[in-house]
Amino acid sequence: MVELDHSFSNGKPADYNWEAILDLDRLIPCVEGGKVIERTSPTEARAEIKVKMGAMSLTFAGTVAVIEQDADAHRAVLQVKSKEVGGQGLANADVTFALSDGGGTIHTAAQISGKAASMGEGVMVNVLDALVDDFTKKLAAV
Amino acid sequence: MPKPSTGTSELSHALGPENGALMVRTRKRGAASKAGHNLLIGVTSWQATLDLGEDGGIALTADPASLVVIEGTGGAMTLGDEEKAAIEQTIGEEVLTSGPIEFRSTSIAADGDTLSVEGELELAGRRHPIAFELSTEDDRLRGSATVKQTDWGIEPYTALFGTLKVTDEVEVSINAMLPRRDDHG
Repeated sequence: MVELDHSFSNGKPADYNWEAILDLDRLIPCVEGGKVIERTSPTEARAEIKVKMGAMSLTFAGTVAVIEQDADAHRAVLQVKSKEVGGQGLANADVTFALSDGGGTIHTAAQISGKAASMGEGVMVNVLDALVDDFTKKLAAV
Repeated sequence: MPKPSTGTSELSHALGPENGALMVRTRKRGAASKAGHNLLIGVTSWQATLDLGEDGGIALTADPASLVVIEGTGGAMTLGDEEKAAIEQTIGEEVLTSGPIEFRSTSIAADGDTLSVEGELELAGRRHPIAFELSTEDDRLRGSATVKQTDWGIEPYTALFGTLKVTDEVEVSINAMLPRRDDHG
């Protein structure tokens, strides 16, 4: 299990950011290489992410679901469950958003297996950290 | 594109893949550099003239679409033909996206078998000065030049959210046979 903490600030009200993170059609493309395949319910989507690793690329496909939401506290947990397309790998994560006026924090608890994890945990942590960091920048611009 | 010399002067040499090799070496860096490879890339379509006469010079043109990945080292996984083809596609689509590769010397100073060359290299649509040394020892032209990609406006390739990068400086080397003087009669 890899756990990471990030924060973002965009100067927007908590209610604005709350709507943004719960709108999976807006949120998922904020992940580099991520796209919504099908919106299956207001709180769930089928999605995929293509991760370029230089010459190679890995695609993970699965679901993103809002499994907890507390509108008063502006706190939500999104669960990602995905499998490597054409491989044995898994990439699952619980992502907890806690928002306040001006930005928020993101706690990521991820489990990665297969080819993506074969580089070692140190590399994986660095890559995940860079992925979430990039995500927060894109999210701040939404 | 300048045409290669016909090699009629004993001091003039026409060079190309038939008598030499033009190579590019790239290195990787970054927190996830394990996921990438140091690459040896061959240029398969190029032509050059080396004229060591009084008003001589060096001119080289290369086809940016002719780069082929010869080997990748230092990666966690072996590079297969599919991955090599993907890299070649990336070079064409994201690195050498426009214009020819052209070098013309502006000055050459010879000291024994060593040539100190200065000139201008056009790469990805931009012209920039470059200097390097070549050796003509043992009837071969050998040497390398460091090309700092950002000097030509090329953003070094990155992947994995910036944790895997190609270093800004890549090495371009030449190793070509020079016909012996008495071959010209």
